[in-house]
Parts: sequence; structure tokens; C-alpha cells
Amino acid sequence: MKLSLVSDSRPSVPVSGAGSRWFAFALFSVVVLFVGGWIVLIGADMAYTNWDSFVESLLSREIRAAAWLSLWTSLTTAVLGVLFAVPIGYALSRYRFPGHTLVDSIVDLPIIMPPLIIGLSLLVFFQTGMGEWLESIGLRFVFEKSGIVLCQFLASASFGIRALKLTFDGIDPRLEQVAMTLGCSRAGAFFRVALPMARRGIVVGAILVWTRAFGIFGPLMVFVGAVRMRTEVLPTSIYLEQSVGRIEAALAVGMLMLLLAIVGLVIIRRVGIGRS
Amino acid sequence: MIRIDKLSYSVGTFSLQEISLEVERGAYFVLLGPSGSGKTLFLECLCGLNQIDTGQISINSQEVTDREPRYRRVGYVPQDYALFPHLSVRENVAFGLKFGDQIDKEKKQTVDDLLGRFGIEKLADRLPLRLSGGEKQRTALARAIACRPDVLLLDEPVSALDEMTRNALCRDLKRFQSETGVTTIHVCHNFAEMLTVADRVGVIESGRLWQVAEPEELLRRPKNVRVAQFVQAGNLLPVSVIPRGDRVALRGAGGIDSEIVRPDWVQGEADAVLMIRPESICVGDVFAEQGSEETLSLDGTVADLIDMGAVVYLTVELADRVVLSVSLGKQAFLKAKPVSGDLLKLSVNKADLHLLPQEN
Repeated sequence: MKLSLVSDSRPSVPVSGAGSRWFAFALFSVVVLFVGGWIVLIGADMAYTNWDSFVESLLSREIRAAAWLSLWTSLTTAVLGVLFAVPIGYALSRYRFPGHTLVDSIVDLPIIMPPLIIGLSLLVFFQTGMGEWLESIGLRFVFEKSGIVLCQFLASASFGIRALKLTFDGIDPRLEQVAMTLGCSRAGAFFRVALPMARRGIVVGAILVWTRAFGIFGPLMVFVGAVRMRTEVLPTSIYLEQSVGRIEAALAVGMLMLLLAIVGLVIIRRVGIGRS
Repeated sequence: MIRIDKLSYSVGTFSLQEISLEVERGAYFVLLGPSGSGKTLFLECLCGLNQIDTGQISINSQEVTDREPRYRRVGYVPQDYALFPHLSVRENVAFGLKFGDQIDKEKKQTVDDLLGRFGIEKLADRLPLRLSGGEKQRTALARAIACRPDVLLLDEPVSALDEMTRNALCRDLKRFQSETGVTTIHVCHNFAEMLTVADRVGVIESGRLWQVAEPEELLRRPKNVRVAQFVQAGNLLPVSVIPRGDRVALRGAGGIDSEIVRPDWVQGEADAVLMIRPESICVGDVFAEQGSEETLSLDGTVADLIDMGAVVYLTVELADRVVLSVSLGKQAFLKAKPVSGDLLKLSVNKADLHLLPQEN
């Protein structure tokens, strides 16, 4: 097999020498183990289900509604996630302030805590005075579609923030300083230098938020329920199908999610990274 | 003109301490100092990237101490050039013009002129990642001057380059500055680099500006031992000084026993340091015609000899095991042809001797 190494000066250079080959072999053993494991797992699912079940799932009114709901809520969450992740990631990367470490840790909390807790916390919050007041002015989330976005956002935005903070950490602040001597304001340096340079990081952040939002299930069950044609998203469909013993249908929905995820990832990468 | 008055700035345990400096309009000023002496911090203060604790900064009679960097009219070239990696060479050079009042056609013309002037027109569409060190430096310089700044601030602009490229670019920098007349402050730690470009030079160390002078004066008359060591004065010999009217008697190890004109700072008997530059020392009594009164004569043995081609470096051991560095031009060396172990008579014109106060 022809193996080449990415290089700064050239697109790639061939791997040569016994030591280098053994090193590459060790690395790719792990790659094959991981990727191969997933392929086997998906293969088993595909073998268990059949084409008729897959088509039946796709044609089902409930599943189509759930797919559409999953797509628009998760994409909305991805956009919201990036809109929050960019300023928060930049602020945490560029500024030092009292409590910086605490704020940085709180941002990571949703990554660590079980997603179910997010649903429970939201349910509790909307029973408090402030929550009831929000509902009284029309901001209704409990058992509503908007609640799906809220749940997904709280469970997934941290991944975007982390990605963006790491991205901005990797951009030399000196570049923005030079931009300021060339006529930019502080904000101008951010928009003209840091933000364009963070493009890949923004795409990665969007992918992380979207994939997490697309697949989240636990907090939705608690906060918005699993009402067919109303708050049912694809992960909920899998749960509902398997809970009544329709394993084939559940796996078919899983395959559909996989397909949508692949298409979504390709589109986000294409649109976001573009020619670079 | 740049006028800096008692500039102080602290960061962590390091501080710039009451730096006062004037740089004439159109001058090429070099700030010379070792790594960690505060050179870059000082430039950042001038740019407005660091808000100074106390002091004032004026550029062309305008006080800019509290102004944002964009309103100071400075062109800044950092040590790593900080080219915008997502923009082409042309876009980098044009970056600052977006904020000016030129129309698009004029901007394009300005960029084309600069690309041509710095010989980077063929690289216009390349990204900085694909440029060599010298090309990056030229691009950064073109970008910095595109907006016609009042002051150009260069932070070790050639330190990352190989010696050949460095020398060529230093000459280019000097020529460019002479042509445009832009007031320039160039920060570096390299003595030869300073000599290539500087009209005036300041020596900074530990956050303090120790001396400001013309390069020749700095070489011949450093203000103290610290500056003398940094400008590679060569021989710094401890002596005792005894004032005798307008002259001062010198006594020291190595057979030093002479009299020179009394410097102002010598008020009484004291310990001092006698500075003798290696290139001021001649083999033989070549100053005999001037009379022994004006010559310091020393006797020693050649301990070591390094032939560098145009210059030959001798290490000569005087009495009391005092070691003296001597550098001879090739012609002078061939005339004397000393070899290791030879006894040598050395002479120095007293006008080339420089007496420095002993530091604690």
C-alpha cells in the first residue's frame, strides 16, 4: 500500500525507512481497530434490518415528521451554538479576569454532566417564579418544539465553545495587534483577522454542536416528552419503536439518522471550509 | 520627531524605568540591547499596544500617550513579521489602506508600487506560508509603510535570517529609509547590524536606557562598564587612578603605569576600569614620533592567534597574567608576523584610551 506523509513544503512525501513504516503500521492498527469496529457494528445493524423496513420507515408519516423536526431543530441549535461559541471562545481565549478558571470550568459542565440532568434542571427551572414569568410573557418551552432547541442548545453549545476557544488560542494575538497599528479598532481586528482565521474552527464547532444536538435523547424525553407528530425527533422515534418491540423499525430509523448525519457533515464541511 | 519623556511600564517583575529619549525627524535610531532587556516592550508602548504606567509619548509634536494604536500613525514590523496567513502578499500589503481615504485606483497603484519597490511583485498572489524569511520581511515592511506612517518601528527585523540575507536586507533598510526619510526605530541585539544602519543608537538593558550616542561615540566612549561590555569593548582592565591637576595617573596590573587627560568624573583617588579597544593596539612603537607622553607602551607574550582572513586576533599575556585582546589588520599582521610565544612590544595612542568608573 502506498503511504505518504503530509508536509508543509509539499502536498505529501512518501513514507520511507523501516522505522517510519513500523510507526505508521502501529498508528494504523489503532485506526483500523476503531473504524473497523464501527463498520462491523453498522454492518450487523444492516444485516438485521431489511430494505422493506427501511422504506416503510421513510414513508411513515410519523418518521418523516420526526426527521424534519430533528433536522431543523438541530440546525437551529448549531447556528445558535456558533453564535454563542464565537464570542465566548474568543473572550475566554484573549482576556484574563477574576474567575476566569471558574467560568472556563462552568462552560465545560454540560460536557461532563449526564444529559438527562439538563432536561430535569430545565423542568425544575420552569416551575420556579422566573420560569413561570417567562412562560407568562410567551416564552413557552416545556413540551414545546422550542424546548427541543433549548435542550439541544444547553447540551451541545459547550462543545462548540471549547472548539472555538482552542481555535482562538492557536491564533497569535500579535496578528490582531499588528492589524490595530494598521488602522483597525479592537473589534475591527477581531472581524478582519481573528474571525476569518477561525473559519475552520467555526466549522468544527458547528459540526460538534450539530452532531450532539442531532443525537440527543435523554433530556428531551424529560423536558418535551415523546409526543408523536409534536415533539418526536428521530432519537425519540428509535426509543418509541424499540419500546413496542419493533427492533427492525428502530434500526431503520438509526440507519436514516446515519445517512442524514453523513449528508449533513459533508454539506457543513463543503460550505464552511470551501476552497481551503 | 519622537519625544519620550520618563516612560515607565511594568509587567510582572520586569519594568521599563523612566526612559527618556528624543529621535530627530528622519533619523534612523537603533535601540540595542540583549534578549530580555525590554526592547520589544518599549516598541509595544510606542505602538500603543501596552498602556504605559507613567510618562509621555509625542510623535511630531502630537501627544499620543493615550491614543489607540490606529491613531498613532506608526508602522510596526514585529520580530516574526506577523503576516496575516489567510491573506495573499498583495492583500497583506493593502490591509491598512482599507482605512485610508484613497480611492480604489490609488490604493491599487500604491500596492503595485510597493510590491515593485520591494521586489515582491511576482509573489503578489502567494500566501505567507509559501514565502522565505527575506520575502516575509519585505512583505511586512511594505505593509507597514503602505499607510505612510510618521514612524517606522522595526522589532529585530532581520534576526531570523541567515547572515548573507541579513546583511543585504540591512543595507536595503538603510537605503529605503534614506530615500523616504521616514523616522525609524530599529530594535536589535546585533552589534554589526546596528553599525550598518544606525544614525544614532541607544543601549537598553534591564529596562533602563543607559546611553544614547552616535555609533562611533558608543564604540569609543561608552558611558559605563555595562555599556562597554555590551558594545564588545574588548579589554577592560582594572586600574587605580590618582588625579594630578588636569591629568590622572593610572596604575594597574599588566605593567600599566601612565598618565592621561583627567575625565570629569574623576574627583579623587579611585578604582576605575581602563578600556582599550583591540583594534586600537599596535605592534611595535608606532607612535614614537608623537612622543612617549602620548603613548601607552605594554610588553607581553603572544599566547594565541586566530587568523580570520582580513583580521587576525591575538591574545597577548602581559605581566601579572593580565590578558589583552589585540586585533590586527592583515597588512599590520604580515608586517609584524608574530607567532605564539613571541615577545611583543605593544603601543596604544592615549587618545584611544577610555577610563570608566568602577561599578559595584
